[in-house]
Amino acid sequence: MSTIHPANTIPSLQGGERQTRRFSFGLDKISLLLVTLYLIIPLAATLAFGLSNGKALDFSTYPHILADPDFTQTLVLSLELSLAATVLTILLVTPTAYWVQLRLPQVRPLMDFLALVPFAVPAIIMALGLAEVYGTPNTLISVLSFGLVPLLSNPPFNILNTAPLLVCAYVIISLPFVYRSIDNSLRAINTKVLTEAAYSLGSGWWRTFLTIILPNILPGVISAALLTFSTAMGEFTLASLFSIYTFPIYLNVTGQNDAHKAASLAILSFILTLICVLGIIFLVRLRPNRAQNEDKLDIVAAK
Amino acid sequence: MQLRAATGTADPTTTEAPAAVKTRRPGGINWSYTLTSWLGFIPFLLFCLLFELLPAAMIMEGSFVNSNTGTLTLNNYQRMLSQASNLHAFQTSISLSLVTALIGAVIGFLAAYGVYNLRTSWLRNFIIGFSSIAANFAGVPLAFAFISTLGVTGFVTVLLLHWFHIDLYNGLNFSIYTFWGLVLVYTYFQLPLMILITVPALSALKPEWKEAAFNLGASNFIYWRRVALPVLMPSLIAATMLLFANSFGAFATAYALAQGGINLVPILISFVVNGNVDIDTGLGNALAVGMIVVLIIAVSLYTAMLRRVSVWQGR
Repeated sequence: MSTIHPANTIPSLQGGERQTRRFSFGLDKISLLLVTLYLIIPLAATLAFGLSNGKALDFSTYPHILADPDFTQTLVLSLELSLAATVLTILLVTPTAYWVQLRLPQVRPLMDFLALVPFAVPAIIMALGLAEVYGTPNTLISVLSFGLVPLLSNPPFNILNTAPLLVCAYVIISLPFVYRSIDNSLRAINTKVLTEAAYSLGSGWWRTFLTIILPNILPGVISAALLTFSTAMGEFTLASLFSIYTFPIYLNVTGQNDAHKAASLAILSFILTLICVLGIIFLVRLRPNRAQNEDKLDIVAAK
Repeated sequence: MQLRAATGTADPTTTEAPAAVKTRRPGGINWSYTLTSWLGFIPFLLFCLLFELLPAAMIMEGSFVNSNTGTLTLNNYQRMLSQASNLHAFQTSISLSLVTALIGAVIGFLAAYGVYNLRTSWLRNFIIGFSSIAANFAGVPLAFAFISTLGVTGFVTVLLLHWFHIDLYNGLNFSIYTFWGLVLVYTYFQLPLMILITVPALSALKPEWKEAAFNLGASNFIYWRRVALPVLMPSLIAATMLLFANSFGAFATAYALAQGGINLVPILISFVVNGNVDIDTGLGNALAVGMIVVLIIAVSLYTAMLRRVSVWQGR
């Protein structure tokens, strides 16, 4: 949509634009320039700071970092956790979103609500709540959870402060944009008609889902996956409160001792974000339809 | 109805008896169908219950309970409201979020209008792409990026001192580790988020409206005052609320920057989870409920405004 606009407006607005050009040039172009500078300067300064040794250029920080066993360990742990969270999110949300669209349209408000809750319950509160639910026995909670909470909070499962609980929390954190992204893709294709056609040709539910629906919404699913991955890679709050030594924690610990090393690590995590977001942008481009604009709203990371 | 008949054949419970499917009347309520429909929704619902709804419910319940005796009490809220440091934390958190949301909204909107007016498409794509990256580049790395830039020995600090003889720390009393330093850091992810939200919203402005306004003799100012801003207002308020919620719940950035030195509500709550003796679970729950209340106001304004947006965007 948006790319068509300039072409439409220029010829028709020539007169009006001319007379107002000066006013709009003043404010919006200058703000845009300032914002761009504001976004670029810290990155450039961090890169320079990481490479400098106080006085001269010094490229030794990067080999230093790579040789640090903690770096490799935390990075691998973070990659594993993020991958697990991504797979779990996609496995949980995609079939459910399709199912709701097809069979239970009446629970859509509930889905919207569930996807909105993480906005009102940020990671820090969720960490507190999870610690209370799985850390202290409570009869009411046991009943409300159909006995699942006592099962998960006692041996052999005891998931409090473990990686599995962290992964589940990551799934919840990424729920708002994952659900939106997948739901938008499902709305953009004609889910009902496709499904009816597949059924009438004798295809079952799973086969329809895997071979008809999934390929059609794949760009949306993959960008949701990349967003989850990028969020989980950078998540600090929950990991720090569960005392799990992930990459952002390592970054924080390092930063207290060696600012130059921390700057280089910050650049490395920027590059990770860059790769994920470039992947999303590329996939959104692939999508031929109008959902393009709406998807750009879905980018909200864990702070 | 059509769908119900079609999907009925694939129903796991009825596949063995296709004859029953054919005799099913489309009008009546089909209980086994409804039941399987709900069964497909249960795994997701259960997951949300366990890791999303119960923790939130537990906090609300816990805020009304004395953590030692287990009796119902309002004592937690009383203690929250009677300690100056808690109230101060709320004040700091709310003003930090308001200031960064407003800076982000105003400057971000102007910049987004600049993006909207850009004729060069590669530049436009570059800025939007870069904004997506910057909006996602938050938390600990962002805090260290700003320390490397504007910290005591930061690159820009040193540059300003050597080239322009401006001493940020000793001369101008600036510090990145204070409230206004935090404002600078938060603005870094608020601005690009505002651009990302506002550029699509701006496409609701039809060029015909501008033409019509100018043909009727409106000035640029009148056009903005009477046409463009009223149309954009719901999107702008929704975006501001999203920015507010975005920074109100933020913990990692502030923590990595000041290591708990700035008195914000999320940082107070982290003391509870870490078992800090100054704050007990009951008080922590009350603080969390206070945060949730503020956030619910922001989020409901956000959704209410989004609903009004759809009128103009014809969705």
